[in-house]
Amino acid sequence: MSENGITFENVSKFYGDVLGVNRVNLSIPPGITSLVGPNGSGKTTLMNLMTGLIRPTEGRISILGVAPDQPDRLFNFTGYCTQFDSFPRGMTGYQFIYSYLLVHGKPHVEAEDLTWSAIERVKLTDAAHRKIAGYSKGMRQRIKLAQAMAHAPRVLVLDEPLNGLDPLVRAETIALFRSLAEEGLHVIISSHILHEVDAISDQVVLLSSGYVVAEGQIHGVRTEVEEHPMQILIRCTRPSALASRIFELDTVVEARLHNDGKGLLVRTRDPDRFYLMLNRLVVDGVDLESVAPADDDVLSVYEYLIGPDGGSI
Amino acid sequence: MNTVIELDGLAVDIGRRRILDDLRCTLSASTIGLLGPNGAGKSTLINALLGFLKPAAGTARIFGHDVRTDIREIRKLTGYMPENDAFIASMSAVSYVHLMAELSGLPSGAALERAHEALFYVGLGEARYRKLGTYSLGMRQLAKLAQAIAHGPKLLILDEPTNGLDPPARQRMIRLIREMRESGAMHLILCSHLLRDVEETCEEVMILKQGRMVHYANLEEERRANRKFIEMETVGANGTFAHDIEKLGCTCAITTSNRIKLILSEGVAIRDLYQIAKDRNVQIRRLNYRRDSLEDIFLKAMETDVMPNGAANGRL
Amino acid sequence: MAVYKRSYHGYAGPLTPEWSRFAIIPRYAYQRLFKSKVMTVFFVICLMSPLVFLSLIYVANSFGSIAKMFGATGVRSPITVDGEFFQIFLGVQSFLAFILTCFVGPGLVSTDLSNRALTLYLSRPFSRAEYVLGKMSVLLILLSSITWVPGLVLFSVQSALAGTGWLFHNLWIAWAIFSGAWIWILVIALLALALSAWVKWRIAAGALLLGLFFVAAAFGQALNAVLDVRWGGLINLSILFNAVWNDLFRTQQKADISASSAWIMLALICAACLWLLNKKLRAIEVVR
Repeated sequence: MSENGITFENVSKFYGDVLGVNRVNLSIPPGITSLVGPNGSGKTTLMNLMTGLIRPTEGRISILGVAPDQPDRLFNFTGYCTQFDSFPRGMTGYQFIYSYLLVHGKPHVEAEDLTWSAIERVKLTDAAHRKIAGYSKGMRQRIKLAQAMAHAPRVLVLDEPLNGLDPLVRAETIALFRSLAEEGLHVIISSHILHEVDAISDQVVLLSSGYVVAEGQIHGVRTEVEEHPMQILIRCTRPSALASRIFELDTVVEARLHNDGKGLLVRTRDPDRFYLMLNRLVVDGVDLESVAPADDDVLSVYEYLIGPDGGSI
Repeated sequence: MNTVIELDGLAVDIGRRRILDDLRCTLSASTIGLLGPNGAGKSTLINALLGFLKPAAGTARIFGHDVRTDIREIRKLTGYMPENDAFIASMSAVSYVHLMAELSGLPSGAALERAHEALFYVGLGEARYRKLGTYSLGMRQLAKLAQAIAHGPKLLILDEPTNGLDPPARQRMIRLIREMRESGAMHLILCSHLLRDVEETCEEVMILKQGRMVHYANLEEERRANRKFIEMETVGANGTFAHDIEKLGCTCAITTSNRIKLILSEGVAIRDLYQIAKDRNVQIRRLNYRRDSLEDIFLKAMETDVMPNGAANGRL
Repeated sequence: MAVYKRSYHGYAGPLTPEWSRFAIIPRYAYQRLFKSKVMTVFFVICLMSPLVFLSLIYVANSFGSIAKMFGATGVRSPITVDGEFFQIFLGVQSFLAFILTCFVGPGLVSTDLSNRALTLYLSRPFSRAEYVLGKMSVLLILLSSITWVPGLVLFSVQSALAGTGWLFHNLWIAWAIFSGAWIWILVIALLALALSAWVKWRIAAGALLLGLFFVAAAFGQALNAVLDVRWGGLINLSILFNAVWNDLFRTQQKADISASSAWIMLALICAACLWLLNKKLRAIEVVR
């Protein structure tokens, strides 16, 4: 078990007869990793396993070298922000974070400092002494994040952390996650907003019905989905001329004129060679307006591997 | 195009706090997005339009009916899909939508027919005969949409319709919204934090900040933007690639390790960029003209100062 | 061949008259209620007990003939059909009505509030007043059908059997049945509705309603004993109603509470329920 990663070895979790996750093998490096999958696919189970809240039925888990059956060590360096919008009654934002820090064993002065720095990091300084019951949805989300980060964990597990945040705060929170990832933390995020997952993650884990169907960097995952050759959309002034040139490449399996007549949809088995070849074609005279992968993103991989109805009825 | 909503100096208080202040505008597009940071007053505006909150000053008119005097008429013409869960756990989807349609005035037979139509349209099949308490979140959202459209409203107000939905369900919801817009039979107001959703569905956007309107944009016009900005995604590039581009005279900015935004200077064409890529053996995986996307519009609007009196500043 | 594409379209047909919309609520409520076998059986039992009283009326009026069948002559009927008779009838039926309310009442509003469905009701051309009226009708119709409706039927049977002389003499009993039942129905229905709106969990609301009756009674007795006063009965619902009914049916029984104070107390209870309903039934909840 490396000291520098989160590993799952053949992990299964059953709740009686009900499947949580089945035979999961994962190795999560530092950085931002996103868990993606339909509701009920096992993301929350995986997160609960990672934070030691539940024990696996089978298999072994190691979080930075520590197994979940040593909670006194594990909870010191993990932070968890759940998807649920519940708080202890009657508490203010400050009390919420401060009391949990005391539970961690921090002495009063240190706990106070950590509380304020966490609150400042999520920009809730003005509202810190108001009751959480009076917070707006976005503020409640931010105070949850602050609580998860307050004790400077090395592993941060966040279940839909951007839920309810307005666009400005989303951008700020994403920047916050990036800076944490650069500090070397393992940040594990589960999200349904796939274009954000695309933009911020270093790697992606796709889950469906309790199984891991893909994991890794998104481009790497895409190239491995061989049944679906990569699709690229090229917009240029004379797409049909471009099409004839493109077929000279033996890796191109399909070229289709786009509906509006100004673009070409190309399928190729070897995107690296294709793109380099495209450089040459453009220099030689193809009047290109734009080029974009039509399906090299999480959304397309999701659709290929998990399917538009979430995999199964 | 006839006016859908007219805000005439609308101001709304909650308790002693003024939440909305002096809103004035005329909305007539078929799909209108409502954006703003938390606390800007979006829910308050929706509540005021539905008559749940009384205006403290000014008024609003929907299809010409005044919210202060004619709220019953307004409610006949609108359908509302609230942000939070709203259902009756012990009823099946069919009886629930049937009840709601009848309460909107439809006779029982017609209401039942339209309930089934609405449920079919949103994609709830056999599941419609099960109790709502057994539904997953995505299905409840669909049932909520069905009750909002069953009585055939002319204005549909959707508050965070994709909240909590997983990617396929979200796609289906967006597709439904687009279909409803294209059917031409109704106008929609979409309130959301997900700019992507608003961009894919709305023609016009109204941005609120601290209870005032700070921006009103027609997205179609914005899309016919300036063609000098370009963004690229590369594979195999290192610092020299950007350096070479700058040597051409273009200003370059590197966002993440492989994304570059640049402004084409006079006389520089895309071909020149490709020449550099060919020389440096760099793959340009993505290249397109960057339009002022909604995110930029929103961020610019957030920087606008809210004027102390009168309508807010127009477009920046 | 034709291909039919389903797309969204508006509704252009006729609408129902606005004043009748509140009645949609009881219709749906009864559909749901009478699916339950227990409820249906209990309702039938509530309708059975008037039959018992019907037979008593018959016996009372035909006692002479019945007695002659057994060879006894000159025996007077032990049952007299008078105000007290009908008061007992009302008492029995009211008790059954109370049980019925404990089953039906709590679920009325709490199911709408617990998952925020009330917002959807009120986003339609449907006011809070119509909503309350609709929910009240569920109980009012149901309870009427087992209290004053059979009561008045029994009264007409008695009049038919006893003759118009008896009718003129005892017309006030009809009024007593009607108003005595109505005051009971109104108070119980309002209480059930208010509790249902206050406590979002259906079962808790039911328990509260039951508790209100018995616990308040006990509390009232305790107050009387401890503070050595007579007005502890004011919070005892059964004592209040007894006072009111004694007044209506002109039966004199010793009571600690005068009829007028009972009426006032009941009016106050109704007002309190209406106030609670007004506070709780809102389209949106505003948290400061």
